[in-house]
Amino acid sequence: MNRVDTSENRGLWLLLGLLAMFSLGLFMSLAFVMRPFHHRSQRPQGLAMALKRTAPALTVAALVGVLALSVRLWRRSSRLARTGIVMALVLSVASAVMVRQNYFEWMFHPIAAAGFVSAADAHLGDKEMVMAVRIGRETRAYPIVQMAYHHILNDTVGEVPIAVTY
Amino acid sequence: MWKRTARGRELHFYLAGINNQNFLMRDRETGSWWQQVTGRAIAGELAGSALELMPNDELAFALWKSESSNEHGHGLVLAPVAGHEKDYDKEWEKEVAKYPVPLTFPGQGLQDRDVILGVKLGGQARAFPLAKVRGQSPVEDKIAGVPVALVTGPDGESMRVFRLQWNGMNIELYRDEQSDGHSREWRLLDSQGNTWNFAGCATNGPASGQCLEKINFLKDYWFDWKNYNPQTTVYNH
Repeated sequence: MNRVDTSENRGLWLLLGLLAMFSLGLFMSLAFVMRPFHHRSQRPQGLAMALKRTAPALTVAALVGVLALSVRLWRRSSRLARTGIVMALVLSVASAVMVRQNYFEWMFHPIAAAGFVSAADAHLGDKEMVMAVRIGRETRAYPIVQMAYHHILNDTVGEVPIAVTY
Repeated sequence: MWKRTARGRELHFYLAGINNQNFLMRDRETGSWWQQVTGRAIAGELAGSALELMPNDELAFALWKSESSNEHGHGLVLAPVAGHEKDYDKEWEKEVAKYPVPLTFPGQGLQDRDVILGVKLGGQARAFPLAKVRGQSPVEDKIAGVPVALVTGPDGESMRVFRLQWNGMNIELYRDEQSDGHSREWRLLDSQGNTWNFAGCATNGPASGQCLEKINFLKDYWFDWKNYNPQTTVYNH
């Protein structure tokens, strides 16, 4: 291995590390700006949404780079260096996957298919609160204890599409 | 509750984040971001669009059942989602109350997590502390010149807001309890000799068969209402 090779290698290793850190950084900063119990005014909220929009493409681009560098560096690397390559790959893949996830949905359990029962068949106490809507001749009751858990339901009542939110 | 159409398109919403303890939703069709509490799109293709509010009530189940059983149509109740029956926490309000508050608005006599009924009329917003509406029902007030009444129902939990005008006249409502020795009938009387039920419809008197206009309101925490309605006043009679 000559001198030129070594310094070129150094550059490639540096690039590999930077790309992996870039992906991880994107995921972390996205998680940070979107954190729930925090006040965001309009501008940081806009930034958070812009980041959420662009992060999937950026992390894929970084992953492609990491993959290309890994292939290039793998053969000439020691066992220790290969561990580094694997770590960079794992971080890049994990970040690319995570920025695509809506982990709020993991927390909130959306209703995939809503079922309904008649008033007589509902197991609800008289004092339990419901959100009630009437459209045309159809009426619906959404128990608040359920909506406070699922938070959102796309429904259609009297042929009108509605979003029930709580 | 919102009508989920914008610019002639039907939308399907899902939760995408939380800001100021308020949900952000996105729609599957365009990926635009919406603030749940205002129904407005704040980013994406549909930014600037507003969803149409769908008038709805928060009622105790027994009241809803008795009101909807008079209808020709059929009332349906959202069933528990399979697998989540044990997750529904009847004490959820106490749990939420433990969350930190992201914003605080002292100075108008309310605590951050006091529950208020928020009414918006003619560009004016007013917050009515829930405890006052419970204790003084019917609470009568004027918002942007419109006379309104906030009424607590027979179960003490269900609430409605009505426009206090009938036949072009302003009216005043009085709580009246009539007892026949067995059951008490819940009703409101007005200055014109009418009797009104909790649905806001006259059951007796010259207005018999007619109903007062219902006004939409939001049951909300004070800090949240104030954040989205910075100019709000507070009812404090």
